Amino acid sequence: MEIDRRTFLSLVGAAAVAPAGVLAADEQLYLAARARGGRHEVAVLDARGVDRLVLPIEDRGHSFAIDPVRRTAVAFARAPGRYAVGFDIEGKGLPQPLVAAPGRHFFGHGIFSADGRLMFASENDYEAGRGVTGIYDVDKGFARLGEFDCGGIGPHDVVLMPDGRTACVANGGILTHPDYDKLKLNIDTMSPSLAYLDLASGDIVEQVALPKELHKLSIRHLVVDAHGAVWFGCQHEGEASDRPPLVGRHRRGREAELFAGPPDLLRRMDNYVGSVSVDASGEVVAISSPLGGLVAFWDAATGRYLGEQSMADVCGVAPLKPGHVLGTTGRGAINDMSPWGRAEIVEESVANPAWDNHLRRV
Amino acid sequence: MRAVWAAAIVVASIFLASAQGVGRRVIDGFVAPSTAAFTRSTMDLAASVEALCDKPGDETLSASRTAFASALDDWGRVSVLRFGPLAADGRFEKLFFWPDARGIGLKQVQGLLAANQPGEISAGMAGKSAALQGFPALEFTLYGAGSEKLAMDEPWRCSVASAIASNIAAIAATVAREWDAGTPFAASFREPGEGKEPYRTEAEVHGEIVKALTTALQFVRSAELVPPLGEAPEKANGKRAPMWRSRLTVPLIAAQLDGVRQLLAAAGYEQSLPEDSRYVASSIRFELDNAIRTLAQVDGPVELTFGTEPDRGRFVFAELALHHASEVVTRDLSAALGLTMGFDALDGD
Repeated sequence: MEIDRRTFLSLVGAAAVAPAGVLAADEQLYLAARARGGRHEVAVLDARGVDRLVLPIEDRGHSFAIDPVRRTAVAFARAPGRYAVGFDIEGKGLPQPLVAAPGRHFFGHGIFSADGRLMFASENDYEAGRGVTGIYDVDKGFARLGEFDCGGIGPHDVVLMPDGRTACVANGGILTHPDYDKLKLNIDTMSPSLAYLDLASGDIVEQVALPKELHKLSIRHLVVDAHGAVWFGCQHEGEASDRPPLVGRHRRGREAELFAGPPDLLRRMDNYVGSVSVDASGEVVAISSPLGGLVAFWDAATGRYLGEQSMADVCGVAPLKPGHVLGTTGRGAINDMSPWGRAEIVEESVANPAWDNHLRRV
Repeated sequence: MRAVWAAAIVVASIFLASAQGVGRRVIDGFVAPSTAAFTRSTMDLAASVEALCDKPGDETLSASRTAFASALDDWGRVSVLRFGPLAADGRFEKLFFWPDARGIGLKQVQGLLAANQPGEISAGMAGKSAALQGFPALEFTLYGAGSEKLAMDEPWRCSVASAIASNIAAIAATVAREWDAGTPFAASFREPGEGKEPYRTEAEVHGEIVKALTTALQFVRSAELVPPLGEAPEKANGKRAPMWRSRLTVPLIAAQLDGVRQLLAAAGYEQSLPEDSRYVASSIRFELDNAIRTLAQVDGPVELTFGTEPDRGRFVFAELALHHASEVVTRDLSAALGLTMGFDALDGD
């Protein structure tokens, strides 16, 4: 399980800037992990799907913590990841490796504090079987300062709330241990929740669970809409034919609400949501279903279902422009998607990289 | 060009014709006999333990242990069907709470045995924690520290064993019943179609079978073989293997792999796949045969054999064979069946 540090460092040192010209000041950039010809990479790309920076990584990547002001990001390995790498989005300076603390592994998601000085990562304290949020000092080479208990098992996605001082953690509830691969060890006693952490004190200032009969509905991916509500995407670990709603919204101080969408949508989504995003206005929520090969859209303010677009093996979604998201697929396609239409930016092709689960806008 | 298309269409339709009814073949050839055997042997187990409690003695204890081994063997085969009736209501975990990385089952069963309060189990085990309901808990009761006293007079421990055995038998019967022809689940598996649930197309049934095969192979590797092997011989720990107390680790794994083999055979892929893809099904069978044959040579007690040669090498070999079988199922069998398994859809996070 230990990574070969030398290999890791040499890979990190091999980061390459793609010759894509000068960055326009207002240009939108995106981050994604991908596989190409059996190798794993992290890519910075523009909205046309053109590479701006490519970082080879040792194993399959997952998502990113992003500091849009200082243009810094941390790429996390896919769970149970032992490493992460901090890098400058514009390719300045050398990438910085982060190795998980003893007895901890990364879950693949993290955030920066509003001032960019700290980075927080979802981690597994696997011997104790509890979820923690690791705290890192960005300016000290991502030195680990400590950790917060995040109030549940299997914390996955984490988002910074608009107040800039609270994080919302998706405690997926699924117990895993790196000795047992990705086997889920506690399906019968799962208890997922959303936990709001005060990032200064580590206090859990609010925690929300779904109704008891949905205790096998793992809350995994999050996005904050224009109104400050947290939208979440789930995967269901119970009986396959249950097909509970997979999309929800939580507004502070209230109960969580679930949105099923039209009849048959849940059947096609097959108990699994891949990623969650908003459009550039934060008014439209996009949920990807790689199993159903579709992205489904909801109106953030009213919870009204807006429609869906098909796209085989789609998973990555990120804000593009008002009403639109950029969607990436495991088959190498990149599309402009909205509730009303879809436009191909890059066609699917076996020659293209296979885009991994998440696409994130800087 | 047209000739090529015509040929392709003929190949596709030949395949579809012979691949029709895979659910029916699997039910008739594997599900029905294996769930029936499991129902029978778990009923025998419950009866044996009851007889032990009525008349404690070496003979009745030994009969209970024999019945346990036999029920566990049938469980190994049925465990491959980890979808539908066996997945519903957490039944797999109730029957076989494993892996138990943090030793929850052991703590709970020891706690229950120490409690000595008949009220605790007067309503049976069904409402208890999954870790107390199935084979691992029963194994500790019948084979763990203090179990030898069952041959003398240990009414509380015996009534716990009896309650667990009855619970196992009840779950086994429920699983068999829900696979019976009359249920909507079995009907859709046998003959998928529009408006049916959960299976509407043959492809969905094939998908379920492929998933069952990979899930079972992954379970044997990740939950049963890799943890006791450890990264190196000095890190081996046979007590992380299931059923080490009863020395039934290897028989259990062999039965599970035999279940995989039987499911694959019942699906008939070696006969029904397009001719140039049949090797896929045979190479999976070849790897399973190799793993089962090699495991049969393991002869030491499991607590020790994971760390000592030549047995360690046998476990390592079996694990590698299963790893390969698993890759062939995910990659080649899926492709041969025309199932598209996307990079993102295949292995979500």
